[in-house]
Amino acid sequence: MKRKEASLAASLIVLFLTILLSLVFIGVAGDSLSSSISGFFKGAFGSAYSISEVFVKAIPLTLCGLSVAAGFYSGFTNIGAEGQFYMGAVAATVLGMYCPFLPGFLLIILGIVLSFLFGGIWAAIPGVLKAKFGISEVINTLMFNYIATGIVGILLQTVLKAPDAYFPVSSYMPEGMWLFKIIPGTRLHAGLILAVLSAIFMYVFVWRTWAGFKIRAVGSNRRAASCAGINVSLSLVLSSLLSGGFAGLAGFSEIAGLQHRLLEGMSPGYGYLAIVASLLGGNNPFGIILASIIIAVIQVGSQGMQRSSGVPTAISNIILGLVVLLILLRPVLVKALSKGDNNG
Amino acid sequence: MQKVILEMNHIDKSFFGKKANDDVYLRVMEGEIHALLGENGAGKTTLMNILYGLYQADSGEIIWKGEPLAIKSPKDAIDRKIGMVHQHFTLVNKLSASENITLGLKTKGYPFTDRASLDSKISEISTRYGLPVDPGKRILEMSVGEQQRVEIMKLLYRDVDLLILDEPTAVLTPSETDDFFAVLERLREDGKAIIIITHRIPEVMRIANEVTVLRDGKVVCSKSIGDLDEEKLSQYMIGRDLSTLKREERTGGNVLLNIDGVSLEEKGKKVLDNLCIKINEGEILGIAGVDGNGQKQLAEVILGIRKLGGGSIYLDGNRIDQLSIEERKNMGIGYISDDRHRDGLVMDMNLEENMLLRSERSGFLHHGFIDKSALKSATEHAISEFSIKTHSSGIPVRLLSGGNQQKLIIAREIHDSVRLVIAFQPTRGLDIGASEFVRSLLLSERDKGCAVLLISADLEEIFSISDEVAVIHSGRIMGIVRNNSDVDMTRIGLMMAGKEVM
Repeated sequence: MKRKEASLAASLIVLFLTILLSLVFIGVAGDSLSSSISGFFKGAFGSAYSISEVFVKAIPLTLCGLSVAAGFYSGFTNIGAEGQFYMGAVAATVLGMYCPFLPGFLLIILGIVLSFLFGGIWAAIPGVLKAKFGISEVINTLMFNYIATGIVGILLQTVLKAPDAYFPVSSYMPEGMWLFKIIPGTRLHAGLILAVLSAIFMYVFVWRTWAGFKIRAVGSNRRAASCAGINVSLSLVLSSLLSGGFAGLAGFSEIAGLQHRLLEGMSPGYGYLAIVASLLGGNNPFGIILASIIIAVIQVGSQGMQRSSGVPTAISNIILGLVVLLILLRPVLVKALSKGDNNG
Repeated sequence: MQKVILEMNHIDKSFFGKKANDDVYLRVMEGEIHALLGENGAGKTTLMNILYGLYQADSGEIIWKGEPLAIKSPKDAIDRKIGMVHQHFTLVNKLSASENITLGLKTKGYPFTDRASLDSKISEISTRYGLPVDPGKRILEMSVGEQQRVEIMKLLYRDVDLLILDEPTAVLTPSETDDFFAVLERLREDGKAIIIITHRIPEVMRIANEVTVLRDGKVVCSKSIGDLDEEKLSQYMIGRDLSTLKREERTGGNVLLNIDGVSLEEKGKKVLDNLCIKINEGEILGIAGVDGNGQKQLAEVILGIRKLGGGSIYLDGNRIDQLSIEERKNMGIGYISDDRHRDGLVMDMNLEENMLLRSERSGFLHHGFIDKSALKSATEHAISEFSIKTHSSGIPVRLLSGGNQQKLIIAREIHDSVRLVIAFQPTRGLDIGASEFVRSLLLSERDKGCAVLLISADLEEIFSISDEVAVIHSGRIMGIVRNNSDVDMTRIGLMMAGKEVM
């Protein structure tokens, strides 16, 4: 088999196996396979509301996916989008709670800038540690997640706690800061625009600018980049800053668009799912949008499945795990299929 | 009557649709040194990798000791008593010679190895073939010549009948080469068959009995040495007559690069030792020496890739040793590294993107944005000017051959405002045509007033284009000679070996 054919065949096999294995798990877990499947599709596409729910989930996933990819380009493996998300959310909350007197548009613009910066700096600390001392960013970004969720917990018990609340939640943001709803009557908010603009920004930055080029060169061959006179440390730190910034934006978008206040456990693991989104989207900004939508469909659809036939929603994690496993196996498949090929 | 030990018939092998071996045949007798001669990229190594089980042939047969042979991996090959020493050695640096030689072999009493008896067996083989190896010495403490002997010992210890040696003399000094050839002769007398892959014609004439010449993946000649001479061989190999480079004697202008007492220590070892050299405008200074005597460090301290330990470096009178790499390159330094994959190119990026990794890039950037069309046209211009073979400027450089990759680096590094070119093994891995091209380009840069620092392990290269030659050993300059007709090559050889010569 020629390499191109082998590559296509491998993709089809991966897709087929994912669906097949998912059906096996769903069949085992649910009452009947047909009611599970119809429940899945009704859950994800059954109404305007369910479709909007897919996009509501896809927004933070896309932004966090962009975050993972932005790090990936320079070889900065960012496992910490979760923590950076919370730092962005904290920045937005502080702004909303302490400056409610500002006009709405200013709150939104300042919120975007501040949450980008907070998330960015949260990632840039491991970035600097990696660039200057060669300390593994994988461990550091992961550990920074625990610190960030810890900080959120402390803040919600103390300075950010709503005076009248029993639970650790912040006060509601001033309404001027709320993002408008794209489809009235649903939860779909203008964070969608923010996510799409971010993807476009990232595409242009990474593939059309000198700074983005330097980041990619550092990611592909640090040594050659340095020999060419590129300041490797600077590019690494810039890439980590950008990476954290996008995750921070996701935090802003959830505060200003969806929750309107800071909660503990606000993210159901978007920062980790984002790694899947980035992998599935091939680290391409637009691929990440698509991948985020697919992941959101699986998640929202599995909720429908739980309602219709009692399949636990945890099935979505199993399916996503399968997807990752099979995608990672794909190169092996391509190799096996193109074996014996003269042009291999 | 000698017996045929190996026959390879009708071997075909393609990579990405390009034939690397096209109906190749090879016949080797017992007790014969068979040279496999050809330019880089002629398919010599491919053929041997097929024999050694690293590649599978698309078609063709291998007959070993009269029987058809199917080899799937190097392990199969060694089991059949076929051994290969690669150009890049495959030794474990932290282990001793003895441990490397017996690596992977289960000896009697395993896992409790009787090291002393192994060592004595090694010493025995070592005296038999005149191949001195200290079994207890660690690889990282060895010179390249010693390491090569360990590689050959590894094969002899496994009692191979056929040794394949890939460019074995590339890393040796002239005197080491003499010793090495003596070993080969003893192996031949012992009835071993040896295939030696090379592109150096004088060596073929000196050591081989038979020669098979490959060109563009095809066998163009397979004859006894007695029927051939150097001139014929070079015609077979290249397929055309070579123009010899003409270098006109000239004296340079002002001192452009002044390296004043530069020292550098790495891991407690002096790798550059109070090194002083000067290069004038319009001059080529060649640095001769055996690989690994501080050449890499010298090139890299000039560029700022390594920080120097002591001394100072001046470019045109300005001290540059505290500047960043980028600042130095912007002052007009072009760098051709010896390791283009690691230092020179980003293999996964395309030709255009690799062109952008230059210091002179103002024409390709507008307010931080990349001007794609300007970059593309500049890359295409370089492709045609340097006749780089590629489908387009948009494919990853990984897909280019070594020679074409090198041309791209040269096109990028030697631009109009360059004043000093540091050329470190600029023709390593290039075929003769491409090497000639690179050397003549360096000469023309010199004629334009550029200063060139040429660091190379290839003495012929150094003496073909340098105006002055400095010999480096253990990070020290042993002596500097003017390159004219009466250079004493014995003296150069002695200096390369570290002897003080007055």
